[in-house]
Parts: sequence; structure tokens; C-alpha cells
Amino acid sequence: MRSEPRLAHFAVLAALALTVLPLFLQLPPWVPLLFALQLGGRAWLAWQDRQLPHRVWLLLAMIVPVLLLWLSLRTLVGREGGVALLLLLTGFKAFETVTLRDWRVLLGLGFFLAATPLLFDQSLPSALWLLLSLFVLTWAMVLLAGVDSAASPRAAALALLYAMPLMLLLFVAMPRLPGPLWSMPTMDQRATSGLSDSLAPGSIGQMIPSREPAFTAQFRGRQPVREQLYWRVMVFDRFDGARWTAGSVPDSGAALASGAAGELSYSITATPFKGALPVLEHAVWAGEGVQQVAAQLLRRIDARNEARLRYDVRSVAQAAYPAALSAEQRDHYLQLPAANLRTRQQGEFFGRQFRDEAGRLVALRAWLQQQGLRYTLSPPLLQGDVVDDFLFSSRQGFCEHFASAFATLARAAGLPARIVVGFQGGEFNTGGQFWLVRSSDAHAWTEVWLQGHWQRVDPTALVAPSRVVSEVGELVPEAQAVVPVLGRRPPAWWRSAHAQWQRAGFVWQQWVVDYDARRQQSLFQRLGLGRVGVGSVMTVLLLGGVVLVLPLLLWLLWRRPPPRSYPVRGWQLLVLRLQQAGVAAQASDTPAQLRDKAKGLAPSLQQQLARLLADWQQWRYAEGATDADPRWRGWWWQVRHFRPPRLAASGFSASGKATMD
Amino acid sequence: MQSISLAYRQLNALILGKPLQIRLALTCVLAGGHLLIEDVPGVGKTTLAHALAGVLGLDYRRVQFTSDLLPADMLGVSLFRPDEGRFEFQPGPVFSQLLLADEINRASPKVQSALLEAMEERQVSIDGRTHALPKPFFVIATQNPDGQLGTFPLPESQLDRFLMRISLGYPSPESERALLLAGDRRQALSALPAALNAGELLALQQKATQITVSSALAEYVLALLLASRKRELFMHGLSPRAGLAVLAAARAWAMLNGRDHVLPEDVKAVFVAVCAHRLQSRLPGMNSIDAAQRLLDHVPLA
Repeated sequence: MRSEPRLAHFAVLAALALTVLPLFLQLPPWVPLLFALQLGGRAWLAWQDRQLPHRVWLLLAMIVPVLLLWLSLRTLVGREGGVALLLLLTGFKAFETVTLRDWRVLLGLGFFLAATPLLFDQSLPSALWLLLSLFVLTWAMVLLAGVDSAASPRAAALALLYAMPLMLLLFVAMPRLPGPLWSMPTMDQRATSGLSDSLAPGSIGQMIPSREPAFTAQFRGRQPVREQLYWRVMVFDRFDGARWTAGSVPDSGAALASGAAGELSYSITATPFKGALPVLEHAVWAGEGVQQVAAQLLRRIDARNEARLRYDVRSVAQAAYPAALSAEQRDHYLQLPAANLRTRQQGEFFGRQFRDEAGRLVALRAWLQQQGLRYTLSPPLLQGDVVDDFLFSSRQGFCEHFASAFATLARAAGLPARIVVGFQGGEFNTGGQFWLVRSSDAHAWTEVWLQGHWQRVDPTALVAPSRVVSEVGELVPEAQAVVPVLGRRPPAWWRSAHAQWQRAGFVWQQWVVDYDARRQQSLFQRLGLGRVGVGSVMTVLLLGGVVLVLPLLLWLLWRRPPPRSYPVRGWQLLVLRLQQAGVAAQASDTPAQLRDKAKGLAPSLQQQLARLLADWQQWRYAEGATDADPRWRGWWWQVRHFRPPRLAASGFSASGKATMD
Repeated sequence: MQSISLAYRQLNALILGKPLQIRLALTCVLAGGHLLIEDVPGVGKTTLAHALAGVLGLDYRRVQFTSDLLPADMLGVSLFRPDEGRFEFQPGPVFSQLLLADEINRASPKVQSALLEAMEERQVSIDGRTHALPKPFFVIATQNPDGQLGTFPLPESQLDRFLMRISLGYPSPESERALLLAGDRRQALSALPAALNAGELLALQQKATQITVSSALAEYVLALLLASRKRELFMHGLSPRAGLAVLAAARAWAMLNGRDHVLPEDVKAVFVAVCAHRLQSRLPGMNSIDAAQRLLDHVPLA
């Protein structure tokens, strides 16, 4: 039994609905809901065999959802906007889907839509869902091609399986973009969050959170809590009134400190930023390839090597440092330019008011909290005395503004202070049991010298605690690892299954999601192919094609049904040759029709064609005609040598009429 | 064969500018099938039917179908002969070599059924006795297109008893000018000499069945049938009976063209006339004739 076309149509609609299901989690819920309604409506029309609405109505009906989309997202481009718009337009496309070709176009859109959930989430469940979507879409495609419905699942699975080697090859070989597409800055005076080698609050108008991974960290034994994770990369201690930079006075705490309480042992995989590498506070031991330098920072030993590396560190909760700053150091950390008069006056006021340094710090923090400052990633640009402007006028900013303002205040109040730049927090990957820190986790905070050690003060956390504290589930990763089943420990099978799942997630993350430009580069280098470029990519594609795809292709060819007979192949070739010559020939034409259509050819060619056609007709349809006739071989040879030249600027198009889809 | 081309020439002289339809009508007769002529009134349906009967030299009767016609009016009745003390069957107009069923869609479904049964079985059962119809037996039915008042459209299951359906359409301006100048063709009709007789016709029909159909040609017809079932052009695909009908008509067409084997062009020539009335187009704005033509345009010969 051949599958009914209507069944295939329902299959296409169902496959589309299934494909975009994960988008419910990412888009305003009404968008996927409307899409589902559109598909349902189209299915109902197909079920009832009703006429589709006129195109004008479709155009009018499109206005409202698109307007609504604009109102709710304020954009129609970018990740959310683009995907939502694509979804709605696909839904409307379903209403002008009539012919087989239309259905194929709709299915093609489905294959495109299947990739969109990956823009939001690249975890293993998403990948599995994509695989399911691909199977269902391919199944619908197979049904649409008219394959028997009982045999269709197998045909779809086989088609996907055959495509696998090519997919693998393309995955390995295709050049990677250096970062996610959607965070690329499109205008000036914006920045992606991340690090730079100086800090100038107020010069950046808008911060675009970049989801690009910055580094990963894996803890052995004791796991940290999220608020503990202040990853230090750089320290800025010179201020010129607008810009903080790294000064030249060395810190006395260059040597590794000692301590044992609350030890955290971890390894980090990161790319050095000008030689600097992320590390937690109070590192007491650093492994191979790295060394601890001034101000509790970590540097790569061969600082010029910019390649990614993995290194081990141990940190403690509190470490002992030399008890006092030298007079020279003290001056350095109290240095302030003449600008920002109001801020300095405010700080000096606290300095006079509170003789006790600890009390002074408490008062400063309390004062900052009361200023009604607001955390935003798109603050107004600041001018002139940027700290004054921020504290007393705009009152909006992100971590850099807060850190800069607090450090200025503290120095004016007579407390040695510096700014630390790095990352805060991270995202705990339960699958891989590691922390993924993204560029969007970049952070700046302050350290104040108090009672013999540098004490961390995070002014951003004072104003916007949510920047530092995140969801409970992420705070306590152990809480996710077990599922309470009626208050008891989960059964053994559950724990082993869960462990397997976590491993699969880590492998997925490590081998697929993390396969970025850098890893591709290193793979290419290990294969001896040098840089990722046109030449090397072509080499990989060719070699891989020969090794992976060619054997499969040969096997499929070998398994193919026996080749078509000479008269059949010859007929198709003859029609093709005529088409190539610019004759509007079709394989459905009769020999007489072909002769008529070929009237534009040279007379000798026409004669040749007429003879070929007459023989074909006679040997194929007269009494006793058989495809096994030995004369066919010679005839086929003649057809292969029949190559009419292209007609000059004839009215016919080479491809002839459109196909019947 | 001489006689059939003579018949063709005579018909062409009578019905101007419709050589293709005349050829199809003759093909239908040679293939032993019934013919349905569908068109608006006044374009010469009845004239063509009369002329066919005339040139084929057949004994023919005409029944004008109306809504009050009863089956017995057509099939015949058994009359009681008091003097002989028995019933005698009085055959109706269906007992003729050629029955001209005019405006078949104006009769009630009862009469239509009775006629179509006779067409299929080539015999009539009345009062428990079976009466064979004469040989050859043809029905040429005419009908106005559906949608006219007071008609009972033939259901599809009955339409496929007709081997072919053809339409005449309006004549070309030249033909019509000639027609207007020559006056009423009915005069010429009565003067039409017979080109054949029933015996010769039966022999020709027998000969038509001997025309060679190669396996490649059968493949082509099969491809057409399969395509009609697969593609989204039609509500239902063609039946095996339709396939046999296509081959029978193609054989007759090949014979008319003086060939002893069927070519794809013969199939293409008869396909629309044989199949369009058995199909329903699925595509909006496209009737079954266009859709059948489209099918032909897309199924490759090999």
C-alpha cells in the first residue's frame, strides 16, 4: 500500500510541532503556542479538505502577531526576535502550502527550525531532542516521497544513518567561528562583557553579555559555593581620574601564603589573558606551568604562549600575609588624582569622622548602599569627573562603576584600596561536574587593606546582590545530584544511571560543544595539517570523503537494483542531450514530438536523431521487441556520441517546463 | 481498412473541422466500446451519432431520454396474446445494433441503470428470461454538461461503462462559415451512404484486438496508472479496468493509423478521452481533462 498524501501532510505538520517544542522554554510562550495553533489549523483544513485562505487574508493576519512580537521583544532580529519571527512566518507559510513542492519547502523550513533550539541551549538533552526531530522530519520527508507507510520508519532511519559519516566529516572539518554569532557587537560604544587591560567606567554605553565560555574549572573533593568563586585575573591600582591601570609597585605577598582551613583543590582549563590566568583567592599551591605573582595573581611561566592550558591550584579560605604595607606601598594604594572632588570630599569626611579603620569601612559600605544606585548593563555615558558623575548624578552602572567609585572613596578616606578584575561565579555543569565560566561572568570588585590583610569588598553585591547570588540549584550543586525518593537515598540503579547520564553529558560537552576554533586548530596541528584554512579544510574533506563517504557510496551503489536497460538509459540520455542543446525536450515526449521540437538543429543532426528515434520505436514496440535485443548496444553507443551543439539564443529554456510538483 | 478510411472521410465531409473527435469516435467503435459525447446543445452531438450509425451501416434506433421515460420503454415489454394464450416479448429500442441515447442525463436514475446494465452485460433480462442483444451492440450517448436544470448526472461508477468521453466544442470560424453557407447538415445526413456493414465491422474489431502491445508499452501504461494513483492530481487513481480500456483504445487507434503495433503516441492520443471521465481532479481550477493531460506531460516514456 502506498501512503496517502494526506498522511504525509499530517506527518510534516506533526514533525514541525515536535521540532520546536523546546522553544517553549526560550521564547515568550504565546509564540510557540500560536505556531502550534497555526499548524493545528492547517491540519484541520487538510482534514476537512477545505480551501486555504486567500493570500491577502494571510498578509493581513500576519500584521497582528508581528506587531505583538515587536511589542514584547522590542526587536525582530537577534536570537529571540529572529527565531520567534521565523516561527510565526513558518506557521503562515503552512497556509499557502498546496503542492508537493510547497510541502517540501515547509519541510525544509522544519529542518532549519530544528537547529534553532541549539541557539539557546547546547546541552545533551537538546542534542537528543535534535536527533529525534531529525528522525521525525526525515520520516515525514520519506512519507512525502510516497514511500509505503509501513516501510517508512526504516527508510528514514537508514537515510539518517547513511548521512552520519558525512555529518561527522563536516563537523570536524568545517571552519569554526571564533565566537557565538549572536553576541557580535554591531555598533560602537558597546562591548561584550569580558576582560580588558584597563578599566574606564563610563566609557562603555552598553554591555552585551557574551555567552562565550571563558574557562572551565573542576573541583576535586570539597565543592565551593557560588559566592566564594571570585576568580582573580588582574589587579588595577593606578587611577588617573578616568582610567584604572596596573601600577608598577609590587605587592609584598608575592610568595605563596600558607594556610589549611577550607582547602579547595581544583584544575582550570583557560586561555591566558596577556599571560594572566584565573585563580581563586588565597592560592597556596600552584601546579606545573604556572606561578603565583604579586597581588595573589597567577601567570603562565612562559607568558608569551597564548595557547589554552590546564593547570592545578589549591586555595584556602584564609591565608596569612605579611602584616604591614611598606610606606611606599601604602602611598601607592592611596594615590588619587585631583579629579572627582565631591567623591574625595565625601571620603575625607569619613576619614575624619571614624578614627577606627574597620568602622570607617563599615560606614563607607553603609553610605554606598544608601545612594540609590542601580545596576544596569546599559548605563549612560559619563563625562568629566566620571566618579562624581556616577555617584551623584547618573547613579546607574555595572560592576566597573561600583568598584571604581568604591576604591576612590576608600582611598580618599585613607584606606589603601585596589580593584581586582576577573570573573565571579560560573555555571555548574552537573553533567560534566565542572564549572563553566562565561565571558558574561566577568566582574570587577575592590580590595581594602585592613588589619594586616587585603579584605575583599564587592560593592556590586552591596547594591545588586542578585549579580552575585544566583539560583539555589546552582548554589548547591550536590543538591541536584540526588533525587529524594520518599526521603530515602535513591536506589543503586538510579545512582548508576544518573552517573552514566552525567558522564554522557560531560563527553558531549567536551567533544562536541567545546569543539571550537581553538580545539579544531590543535586537532589540525596534531594531524600535521597546519592552520585551519581553505587548503587544510579541503584536504580533510577530501581525505575524509575517501575514507568515510566513498566506501559507503560504493556499497550503496553495489546494492542498487540492476542497472536500467540500454533503451531506457539511452532514452533519458537522448532527452538530456537535446535539453543541453537548448531543445525543450521532455522524457514524456513521444519520438514524433521530439522530432518536431528538434527542428532547430542542423539537418544532418535531425537526420541522425530521426534514425535513432525510429530505431528506438521500432525495436521497443514492434512485435517481438525486447530490451535484450543485441542491437541495443550499438544504438546506445550512437546515442552517447550524439552531441548536438547548443542552439544560439533560442526561445527554449534548457530545463524545459517546470516539473509537476 | 479501405472502408474505414472511407467512413472517416465521409464523416469529415459532414461534420466540419472536427477530425480528431471523429477519429476518436471511430476508434471507440473499433475498440468495441460505448461512446459518450458531452457538450452544450447545438454543436452537433446528435448529428455525429447519426452519421456514425449511417456510415457504419448499422441498424440503429434513437431514444430521446426524458425524466418520465420508464425502463420498459427502452428495454421492451411482454405482451399477452389472448388468441395464442401466451406472452410475447416485444423488444424495445435497445435491441438494435446501435442505440443512440440522446440526453442520457435527463432520464431518471432507474432508466440510466437499466441502460448501463444492458451496456455492460450485452443482454437484457425481462420476466426471468434473458434476451441477448444483437451483435455488434453500441451505445452512443449524448449528454449536456452537468448543472443544467432537470438533469440526473451519471455517477462515476456508471460513467466508466463508456470507453470514451469526447466533447465537440464550438467549430472554428472557417468551419462555422462553411456550415452557415451550406445550410442544415441533416439533409446530407439522410443521403449518407454506408461505408461498412455489421459483418465487416465485427471483423475489424476482431483485427484490432490482434494489434501487438510490447512489454515496454505495457510498462508505459502501467507507469501512467501508477502515477495517477500516486500524484496529488486526482481524488482516486485509475482502475485496472481503465488500464485495459486505454490499451484497447490505443490498439484501435494504432490500427486506424495502419500500424500493427501500439506506440506511446497512440496511448497519448486516446488517454484523455478514455480516462478523463473516470478521474476527478484534486487541483483547484483544473478540470479532469487538464489534469489527465498534465499526467501525460510528466510520465516519461522510459
